[in-house]
Amino acid sequence: MLDVMRRLAPVRGYAAALAAVVLVTVVIGAIEARAHVANISMLYLIAVLGAATLLGRGPAVAASLTSFLAYNWFFVEPIHTFTVGNPTEWFALVLFLVTAMVTSQLAADQRDRAREAADRARDATLMFEVARVLGEPDLDAALAAVTERLRQGLGVAGVIVELDGDGVRHRSIAGDAAPLQGADVGSLAAWIPSSRSASGARARWIHVLGPHGSSVSRRDERVHAVPLQAAGRRIGMLAVVRLAPQPQSADDRILTSVATQLAGAIERSRLRQRATDAEILRRTDQLKNVLLGAVSHDLRTPLASIVASAGSLRQTDVPWTEAERESFLSDIEQEARRLSRIVSNLLDLSRVESGTLHPERSWYDLSALIDDVVGRLRPVTQGHRVEVRVPDDLPPVSLDYVEIDQVLSNLIENAARHTQPGTAIVVSASIANGEAIVEVADDGQGVLEDPIDRVFEPFVRGSTRGTPRGTGLGLAVARGLVEAHGGNLSVRNRSEGGAVFRFTLPVEIIPRTRAAATKP
Amino acid sequence: MSPQTGARILVVDDEPALVRAVRANLGSRGFRVDVAESGRAALERVDLHPDLILLDLGLPDLDGLDLIRSLRGRGRAPIIVLSARGSERDKVRALDLGADDYLTKPFGVEELLARIRVALRHTLRSGADEPVFRTRGLTVDVEHRRVTVDGEELHLTPTEYALLTALVRHADRVVTDAMLLQEVWGPEYGDEDHYLHVYVARLRKKLEPDPQKPHYIVTEPGVGYRLLTEDVIADRT
Repeated sequence: MLDVMRRLAPVRGYAAALAAVVLVTVVIGAIEARAHVANISMLYLIAVLGAATLLGRGPAVAASLTSFLAYNWFFVEPIHTFTVGNPTEWFALVLFLVTAMVTSQLAADQRDRAREAADRARDATLMFEVARVLGEPDLDAALAAVTERLRQGLGVAGVIVELDGDGVRHRSIAGDAAPLQGADVGSLAAWIPSSRSASGARARWIHVLGPHGSSVSRRDERVHAVPLQAAGRRIGMLAVVRLAPQPQSADDRILTSVATQLAGAIERSRLRQRATDAEILRRTDQLKNVLLGAVSHDLRTPLASIVASAGSLRQTDVPWTEAERESFLSDIEQEARRLSRIVSNLLDLSRVESGTLHPERSWYDLSALIDDVVGRLRPVTQGHRVEVRVPDDLPPVSLDYVEIDQVLSNLIENAARHTQPGTAIVVSASIANGEAIVEVADDGQGVLEDPIDRVFEPFVRGSTRGTPRGTGLGLAVARGLVEAHGGNLSVRNRSEGGAVFRFTLPVEIIPRTRAAATKP
Repeated sequence: MSPQTGARILVVDDEPALVRAVRANLGSRGFRVDVAESGRAALERVDLHPDLILLDLGLPDLDGLDLIRSLRGRGRAPIIVLSARGSERDKVRALDLGADDYLTKPFGVEELLARIRVALRHTLRSGADEPVFRTRGLTVDVEHRRVTVDGEELHLTPTEYALLTALVRHADRVVTDAMLLQEVWGPEYGDEDHYLHVYVARLRKKLEPDPQKPHYIVTEPGVGYRLLTEDVIADRT
């Protein structure tokens, strides 16, 4: 029904123009019945101007011609014929027709310009918004926003953007794209002729086959598509689905511009991705080199002890005492465990560096976690006084237990390793500004790195006196794990001496659940 | 002589050095040890009706989790899973699929023996719940719903009590979050796991004299909890 009305829209324009002419004819008839008014035919110009301004060029011409004929038929002697008795009337009639035609064209021009200005204003707004949205770093989100914005801005039923390059197909759909949804992406894209010129993304309107493909071979006139091109290569297409079939229109221009912008943004994003990949490769390479150095040093030390101890035990010609044998065996076991820790840290670091961390969060009591970790690390911290300061009313925090356990363990081990026995290590937790804050403070000589953040880089060992036994991995891993939780890990030196490592975790609102309802 | 002596243990692992060490240790303690180097071999040997299966999750030929499903389909022998640190998700899945416990590689002999002891004890007891559970100062009187620590009665909320009894039912064995949710909130639990750990933390605060040295309930990071009936060597570094 709506379709029919839309298809009848041009016809209605002509009908309205004719109705206006009829109305003016009636008015003139009424006036002429009482008195003769010179040049009363000029009243028709109102109908003509009205038609030109409101209905467009065609209806205006129709109004001019019918006015001319109606005036001739009804009011020029002899009445009810198209013949004209008086030659001066001829002149007046022709003059009227010319005036009507000219004014109608002028008015129609004006109307077109006003409409074009409105279109351009809309296009400009739309382009601005598209450009703004495309500025987002996440291309997928940007494309989704652009398609939705285009759908609203153009007032069409659906918008679809398809990318088909680098072996990755990506579809972003807004609104109803039913006529396109069934269609295969590849076959759809194949319908868009690729521009031979390398001069950029010159777009062409084309019609795309309906969803039923060539077996039905009915062209769906509601679908229009423009290709997306970058550097003369087709990388996808932008298509709109209209509410009703419509030939080419002003939207052509805006779609072409948007297509150009989109292609540019996609290309930029690809280049950025390539640059990121290259940077990752470079850093991986760098990491590998540092890793090799670390592996040769850090792994060999415990390996050397193990091989030496095991070898000693095999010596049959030396009568080892029971205590000596025991010491060799415990060395083997301890050094093997140390190796295992180093390997775990290396694995964690590789997960951190590759960005593949996905914390498996759940709600935990932070003080229970701190107690667990502090308790478990007793063997490591037995030379230190470890103090835990956690308020009783700490709310639950959403975290991945294993990962935050690891973070806190690394911080406490780090503190124990870099400070003198007998000094204090204080672990505290608090809530401030919607964040849970955990601090590990020690009484050592503080961090001597400059800038201080360098301690979080892999394989950087704190410059402390004595021989640090760490691998320089723990803090790097801790920072990566905290950041994967959306928090941050920092360090500062206290004025009274010692370092404070502090990490934050965002505290979200716990969703209401049935457990909350049955809360005792 | 302990009733466990002579128990038949099937070791499924493809690492010869580890298998050798395990076989020597278990053999010297009177266990009869069968070895399968692959998943397929394990499926053949399981017909010998082992009393316990030690299963490495990273076998070359079969997926460890699939293997647990198949083994569970063929008998009730307890399964102790061996896996590397960092694969907590696999451990949880293995436990939820019916494995009884797990050990993280590398593990010590004492740890291995303790786990085997616990797993075999549970088979012998075969679910016959005693009316009063007692361990090192903690008593849980199921009949009268009374819990005491060192003679002092504890006031537990219904949820805390339900959690404690669930842990008691699996004493010394690891209980995953999913198992606890099932047993405490029933099969149609929804988002309650938001609170599970918080409830356990509260229960622990009431139970444990020193929260940094948990006596009864220990956390198995990323997996679940375990109620201890003896001071098992907490040999995790």
